[in-house]
Amino acid sequence: MKSKPVIMDHFSTVHTSFIVNFTFINNITILTGDSGTGKTASFSFIKECMAVNPNILCLNYLDYQKDIKEIISQAGGKLIVVDNADILLDDDTRKYISLDDKNQYLIIGRNPKNLFATKENLFELVSKKVGEQTELSIKAYL
Amino acid sequence: MITIFKDKKDIPSDKEYIELNDVFFNQNTVAKLDERANTIIEKIDNSKLLSKYKICSRFNDVILDIDRLSVGCKTVLNVLYYPEKVFCLKECGNNALEEIYGLDKGSVYSDYSLIPFDMDKVLVQTKKGGREISDYEELKEWWCNEE
Repeated sequence: MKSKPVIMDHFSTVHTSFIVNFTFINNITILTGDSGTGKTASFSFIKECMAVNPNILCLNYLDYQKDIKEIISQAGGKLIVVDNADILLDDDTRKYISLDDKNQYLIIGRNPKNLFATKENLFELVSKKVGEQTELSIKAYL
Repeated sequence: MITIFKDKKDIPSDKEYIELNDVFFNQNTVAKLDERANTIIEKIDNSKLLSKYKICSRFNDVILDIDRLSVGCKTVLNVLYYPEKVFCLKECGNNALEEIYGLDKGSVYSDYSLIPFDMDKVLVQTKKGGREISDYEELKEWWCNEE
């Protein structure tokens, strides 16, 4: 499903030798791909930004006991980043996300079920050496 | 050959089901790692196991705690070292799936199909019993159909 990002077109941050440079073209970005490519590392760098950027909300397996749909439905004007999405998001929450126009989503997982996603929502991580630093960006998966 | 469950109700009561592979690995599997873990960590995460609790990052050669392994890699190691338990398969990328499908034993669960392009024989298990499947399309059909 193609819908313009409602919060930000671009997110960037630096964490020591890592640079995160993500460009968003959809309101729901599903970051997928092989294991061990750096998806969760990217999540941790974005999560660090929660300390200084009130527009970011990060959720992962540590929130497993919480009511994710309740947390998301209380949020507005945020980039909501969900790692471990395949175990964290139930069908009901996925349907809510697919219709939410108050927030933008970066979902790290492999199951697009109930998100009304098409190939335009699927992205994979690309890492590139820039001098002594590693730049992490996203590109279309298919 | 691994055993696959597609419905949690089919998992025998004497087999524990583990959904959070990250937590289980960090608290249990990590203590059991031996030389078998080396190859898997190199293959999936492109990292090197330096000592029992340390790995060398694929990105910048920094030494990291082993808890930084990917959840896909942790899942493979969980299945390898605890074949008597059933682990959630949902957080495995294709590279991790290929490793799991190649294990001699172990059990996994997912309610939707997760099949590597290159698969060998697996045992699918429902309440009605088990059967071996060695064909990608046949396995996909089993996963998609109600029984």
